[in-house]
Amino acid sequence: MKKFDPIELELFKNVFIAISEEMGAVLGRTALSPNIKERKDYSCSLFNENGETLAQGSHIPVHLGAMPLSVQAALQAVTFEKGDLVILNDPYRGGTHLPDITCISPVFLGRKLSFFVANRAHHSDVGGMTPGSMPLATELFQEGLIIPPLKLYSRGRMNKDVFDLILSNVRTPDERRGDLLAQFAANEIGRARLEEAVARFGAGKVRLYSGLVQDYTEKFLRETIRTIPDGVYAFEDFLDNDGISARSIKIGVRVTIRGDEAVVDFSSSSPQTEGGVNANFAITCSAVLYVFRSLVEEDIPFNTGLMRPLEIVAPKGSIVNAEFPAACAGGNVETSQRIVDVLLGALAKAVPDRIPAASQGTMNNIAFGGYDPWRKRHFAYYETIGGGMGAGSGAAGLDGVHTHMTNSLNTPLEALENYLPIRIRRYGLRKGSGGKGLHRGGEGIIREYEFRVPATLTILSERRRFAPYGVRGGGPGAKGKNTLVSRGRKKVLGSKVNVTLRPGDVLRVETPGGGGYGRPRR
Amino acid sequence: MARKTSPAVRIGVDTGGTFTDFVIWKDGRLFNRKVLSTPQDPSLAIFEGVGDFLGSGAPAFIIHGTTVATNALLQRKGGRVALVTTAGFEDILAIGRQTRRELYSLQPEERFELIPAGRRFGIRERTLASGQVERTVSRSEVRKVIAKIRKSGAEAVAVCLLHSYASAKNEDVVAEELARAGLLASVSSRLLPEHREFERMSTTATNAFLMPVMDRYLRELDRRLGRAELRIMQSNEGYISPVRARLEPIKTSLSGPAGGAVGARVLARAAGIPNIISFDMGGTSTDVSLIEGRIRRTHEARIGDFPIRLPIIDIHSVGAGGGSIAYTDRGGSLRVGPQSAGADPGPACYGKGELPTVTDANLYLGRMDPEFFLGGRMRIHPDRSRAAVGRLARRIGKSARETALGIVAIANANMEKAIRVISIERGFDPRAFALFSFGGAGGMHAVEMAAHLGMPTVIVPRNAGVLSAFGLLMSDSVKDYTKSLMKPDSQVTLADLESEFRSLEQASFRDMKEDGFAAKDVVLERSLDCRYLGQSYEIDVPFRKARTAARAFLESFHSRHQKLYSYRHDRRPVEIVNLRVKAVAVTPKIPLFEEPGQKTLDPKAMIRKQPIFYGRAAAEGMVIDRSRLAPDNAVRGPALVIDPESTTFLPPNYIARVDGYSNLIIRKAGPR
Repeated sequence: MKKFDPIELELFKNVFIAISEEMGAVLGRTALSPNIKERKDYSCSLFNENGETLAQGSHIPVHLGAMPLSVQAALQAVTFEKGDLVILNDPYRGGTHLPDITCISPVFLGRKLSFFVANRAHHSDVGGMTPGSMPLATELFQEGLIIPPLKLYSRGRMNKDVFDLILSNVRTPDERRGDLLAQFAANEIGRARLEEAVARFGAGKVRLYSGLVQDYTEKFLRETIRTIPDGVYAFEDFLDNDGISARSIKIGVRVTIRGDEAVVDFSSSSPQTEGGVNANFAITCSAVLYVFRSLVEEDIPFNTGLMRPLEIVAPKGSIVNAEFPAACAGGNVETSQRIVDVLLGALAKAVPDRIPAASQGTMNNIAFGGYDPWRKRHFAYYETIGGGMGAGSGAAGLDGVHTHMTNSLNTPLEALENYLPIRIRRYGLRKGSGGKGLHRGGEGIIREYEFRVPATLTILSERRRFAPYGVRGGGPGAKGKNTLVSRGRKKVLGSKVNVTLRPGDVLRVETPGGGGYGRPRR
Repeated sequence: MARKTSPAVRIGVDTGGTFTDFVIWKDGRLFNRKVLSTPQDPSLAIFEGVGDFLGSGAPAFIIHGTTVATNALLQRKGGRVALVTTAGFEDILAIGRQTRRELYSLQPEERFELIPAGRRFGIRERTLASGQVERTVSRSEVRKVIAKIRKSGAEAVAVCLLHSYASAKNEDVVAEELARAGLLASVSSRLLPEHREFERMSTTATNAFLMPVMDRYLRELDRRLGRAELRIMQSNEGYISPVRARLEPIKTSLSGPAGGAVGARVLARAAGIPNIISFDMGGTSTDVSLIEGRIRRTHEARIGDFPIRLPIIDIHSVGAGGGSIAYTDRGGSLRVGPQSAGADPGPACYGKGELPTVTDANLYLGRMDPEFFLGGRMRIHPDRSRAAVGRLARRIGKSARETALGIVAIANANMEKAIRVISIERGFDPRAFALFSFGGAGGMHAVEMAAHLGMPTVIVPRNAGVLSAFGLLMSDSVKDYTKSLMKPDSQVTLADLESEFRSLEQASFRDMKEDGFAAKDVVLERSLDCRYLGQSYEIDVPFRKARTAARAFLESFHSRHQKLYSYRHDRRPVEIVNLRVKAVAVTPKIPLFEEPGQKTLDPKAMIRKQPIFYGRAAAEGMVIDRSRLAPDNAVRGPALVIDPESTTFLPPNYIARVDGYSNLIIRKAGPR
């Protein structure tokens, strides 16, 4: 690490973090859709001129590793000018999955392109086969509108043609417009604040410390890796299937720790699949960074410094580095969780007291839509359901909670029943689903939906076939289960299904429990 | 607008961690008193402070800011509570919003379970979102549950059934049975009739958790105070009767700070600067709140583990204060706080601790007067500060002065962030506000912070140490009423709104009558929580009975949305989520007198000169005894203005003027 002033380092750390957080506050405040506003499914970051992250508002882990790749993709595709805003969602050119739309703005100091500010938000619809744009598809084209890096604003002026094209391809254009304008507003604030910082401290200092905060973060991670014994640690686990065929999908990892560096090699993983559980490299990066960031106990800025001690090997064309035009809606929400599971599983062999058992390992994505005759309108709804957290060396896993790559809120059922022709018949913990152990795994959730009208339902879930593992003799968490009761008949549904519902049908989702930690006391 | 009889003695009492403060108004005179707090039984200190006013004559009128609820929440020491809810939904309290606090923690975080599964009871019943009761409660089932509750040893019962904000019929039946059984009950449709089951349930359960504690405390206090008329301050800036406080103790969770906010509002308005951001820097934490002529309130507060959805003053806290410890972290960065040296061992200069704190940095920089700490009541050791700062300086390879300045700069940055949250993130520009600094340590930081934030004025009130007690004395009776509507504007007629508002207002008159106020003394404010259909956050807008522009509230909503969220959407349907009525019964006020000015400075005010460090320079600054300053006196920096409770640091090129209410009004000096 270069020579630095410890006081200035702290002040600049604060400045960079404060800017990314203020961007987040503006985006959350000004967005229109509940998914961004209430569930806070977005992230904001600052970058240097090479697209390396300085700081990221800590919002959604799955966005973290992916954002620098967006800036780099944009740098390759366009020539930035003052007042531009570049938008993209193409998973194979800087995106993750199509609903995540990234907006990038350059910050010029004088005539020199010096920084970028960017944010990424999950839009509740970007077109495609089904409402919510999380379909069971077999190619990217079916999943929604693909946006390569292009200028939504050019030299401060809105590119209306691009705007119109986007809005014509989505189911809820008003909401999209509101959310995109909010993303624009967030970047504007970030840019203004960076310019203020430069005015206050001078461009030289801001540039110097934009490098030093990365060194700072890097130092923490290197010291943390150094506490892990050198060695090679391997682990594998499986995805239930891809929603198209019944075959399970393997994710295998070999972690090599040497000194203060780690190589994370996914070469033993399955090839990419037909169904949409493919993860691109950005998602795999995010999952790896999440795990290593979590190993560091201190509160540190999230930036590119975290990448430096790590080498990620993910063969092209595999489930963890899929190639165009593989469908990938579920890679972001489901496969990312399994990547975390295998990486933690491997690390548990090295530092068992610091690694918890597997958490539920799925987000239980539930999307449905139809026509509401009472309110005389079409409806579309998407939510995710928490489950059991894996137990740790010090405590039982938390019950009914989102884990690892997501932390989005539930929707109050009193709100749901006010707006949708459904009733929630039960919402509670799934007793006994947490894995046994010295510390038990967290309990999953049971949620029952009764549909009052015909509807189409898409479920994208995992861990219905392979249970979340326990560690150090702890038992596995219970597998999840999706059940449909239609006209008195009970039918167990798969992990990933698309079904047509009749009035009176009841869907019961039981989410997985977390794994247990340690042998149970007798 | 006055009460029939105005008591001769009125007292504001604020229980604090160390001292219990009293501001007393008697025979047209205002004076202060401080008594050491008695945490085991706070009523002891109160009795000590007011005992001599309880004798003959008209009963004293006492408005009390209490920490009993706050402490019970922070220490998780409340009563044993049971929950009655709709069968199938007993775990809502445990699931919460299905999120975790720490994103990057691999170990499960510690959680406090307010009501364990064994005391959560489901009953078969169901009300729909429309308010239609699909299944009525069976009284026999309720009685069976009550038998189980008794067995569980619960001291209080929370009742929260689904959609009870839309119809309370089923909850009423449960409440009746609980009352018949003689159990303390906290009922959601009475406490917080709004949708969102987790927040309503949690607020109701937290209230039940506090009921036994508040009940015991107020019994004790009542016994000690005899025939004095007691009122308890709520978190919503108004007081209630002890009877109400025993039923709804959760409403007192920010009782003391609410007094502080009222005090700040009253003094700032008297000073002619109604828009302020209050800044209360203490030993371990700093509280800020925004007052735009009126105190801003929120419905989304959290105290300790407990989300609270009742109207509450909007206060933001950060872990930065005089006791915050400076250290270098593993990455070599200089950090300040959130760990605090507290009162024991305290900053190095107190004589015990070895670690440098913000207070030590200030002392080193000459921004405090070592001779006059707490008015000279406590001896402090500048040499210990120097040594502690020096050790840290050697570790980071800087001079002691640079290090001390760095500690202050970093502490300031942390506190400025809190001010940004309360202003910029809520859609306000801090440059349109004055920084109103109270609390012991704030005055040493306020001017520099205001400069960074572009705030033109700093106000430091006199008697900052008893501001909360003063605010209590100046507060009114305030009660809030709410009703969930959740309908698009197009489906609601003005007549509907009128009748809903009327029924809330009738309820407010009944409650105010209990407290001795006639309907004509009650000022009502109607407002609506609105949002664009499909949004999930509401904005409150005033609702006025205007004959001309019947739906003026819609325009208010659009324009407030524009201000807060930078866009408006005139064609999008607007949903009315809640109706609110705020009822204020105005208490006769103590008049504040503006004292006449005096141009000359009492030479005795100038105690001596001492070196003060700022930036790269140092200068001899005057140490000024604030008690000898008179209105219209002006002091130019660099200087320290000291009184027994606080120190104000005036950097060069700043001028502090004393106004007619003895506030220091600090602004940047023009060219000399």
